[in-house]
Amino acid sequence: MTLGEFRQGWLRAQAAVRSREREFSELDAASGGDGDHGTAIVAALDAMVSAEGADFKESLERMAEALEERVSGSTSSLYGSWLEGMAGAVGEGVQELDEGGLAALFEGGLEEVEAATGARVGDKTLMDALIPATVALSKASGAGEAAMLEAGARAALAGAAATDGMVARFGRARNLGERSRGGIDAGAASMAAIWAALAAI
Amino acid sequence: MPMKKFLNNPADLTAELLDGLQRAYCDKVRIEQERIVVRTNPKPPDKVALVTLGGTGHEPALSGFVGEGMLDAAVAGDIFAAPGAAKLYEALERFNRPAGVILVTLNHNGDRMSASKALRKAQKAGLNVREIIVHEDIAQGPDAPIDQRRGLGGCIPLIKVMGAAAEKGCPLDEVLAIGEAFNSNMATLSVALRTATHPQNGAEIGSLAEDEMEIGMGQHGEGGGGVLKMCTADETARMMVERLMAAVKITPGDQALLIINGSGATTTMELLIVYRAAAKILEEAGVSLVPGLADELLTVQEMAGFQMILCKLPQGADELLRAKANTPYWTSLGV
Repeated sequence: MTLGEFRQGWLRAQAAVRSREREFSELDAASGGDGDHGTAIVAALDAMVSAEGADFKESLERMAEALEERVSGSTSSLYGSWLEGMAGAVGEGVQELDEGGLAALFEGGLEEVEAATGARVGDKTLMDALIPATVALSKASGAGEAAMLEAGARAALAGAAATDGMVARFGRARNLGERSRGGIDAGAASMAAIWAALAAI
Repeated sequence: MPMKKFLNNPADLTAELLDGLQRAYCDKVRIEQERIVVRTNPKPPDKVALVTLGGTGHEPALSGFVGEGMLDAAVAGDIFAAPGAAKLYEALERFNRPAGVILVTLNHNGDRMSASKALRKAQKAGLNVREIIVHEDIAQGPDAPIDQRRGLGGCIPLIKVMGAAAEKGCPLDEVLAIGEAFNSNMATLSVALRTATHPQNGAEIGSLAEDEMEIGMGQHGEGGGGVLKMCTADETARMMVERLMAAVKITPGDQALLIINGSGATTTMELLIVYRAAAKILEEAGVSLVPGLADELLTVQEMAGFQMILCKLPQGADELLRAKANTPYWTSLGV
């Protein structure tokens, strides 16, 4: 995957979250959050795609910087960690990733998010999409980079769908207890939408 | 019902309210680096600095308590959203000093994430920064794990006490110890009658029927589990104060501070009626109350309801509560 293709993926992700902004906010409100996830994720993607760099590392570092500089809130913190983790997993000057590089990129990203939050699969957060997606992407090594991204996206979508019926154990929705059971988690839904856009499915 | 608020561009809310604060209270606070509210007259650098962070939309908290005797700086995020770690780090670096800096973090995922990121960076850079985490909500039970106990309006008297100790010239460890003693002897419960609308997107946050109230609703309209049919002021106050008294294990002869903090749409009349009811129950239990507050300190837009904050006072806290403060929303002449 070239740097240009990677950037195209993020631009598709920006368009995807913009078109579903209201839906993400409604999902957030429905499961006990404060109903602003759509606003937050659109602001995050807008800030991220405003930054570019000469190689993967520089691009990711600048995207993280722009995001954390411009956008407040936990969505920004978590996506910032994701991008910083990816930047840390790629060497300087890299313009194109092979299968191993792509897997290392997303594994590095996940590792940094896991350091920032205690949430894991089953807690009804964006981790329900991000963790299985990262695992599936690495597992699909050998099938080509596009197939790896697609496997990741399918796993993210399935993971997000599985949050329907879960009781929130993290974030503000946690305080709702049983009443947070209905509905898909907004953070997992937007994370899956971003993976789908990165994979162009 | 469509949102009915005096707003301009929703994207500019935080910038505009902070600018309003520094214009209205120009003798007390000013804005630095866009989101850092600092004192107009800084505290001498040989004293411990107190810094906090938090989302906006809860005015007057937290930036309204920057000033002599309380905070040195409040780092503002956006509506209901914590500031990023980068901005918080700027503030910690700006106030770093040999006497030390204490970061007051309210226990919410977003605040905690930004705080721990900024603190990791501060540690690497060798800054002299410590942290105190406010988690006095007892909606999930007083013995619930700390990560399930939110930081609510109790942060305000805590900041008052720690700020007064820092102003007096107490060293870092002592200010922190005074803070921890106060922190572990306070408890808060909230009650909501009507939810708020998010000022950026107009969405209703949370939901309650006309004849319901919810004990435990958080300061972003997120639920707390205790939905009940409406009660009178006296009944509600009794239900809440008894849980708070048990949580702080109050005994006859104890000295305590009672605060009724309005959430935004409940009248001062109601806050006073509730204060009266809770104060009478405490007095009947042999508790001696120091002067309290029935006012809006930390709000949630136009949410109707209040937070009841009960602090069993450790030795010396009374004097620190009465010490001089000169901030936009807490002033005291001192004694």
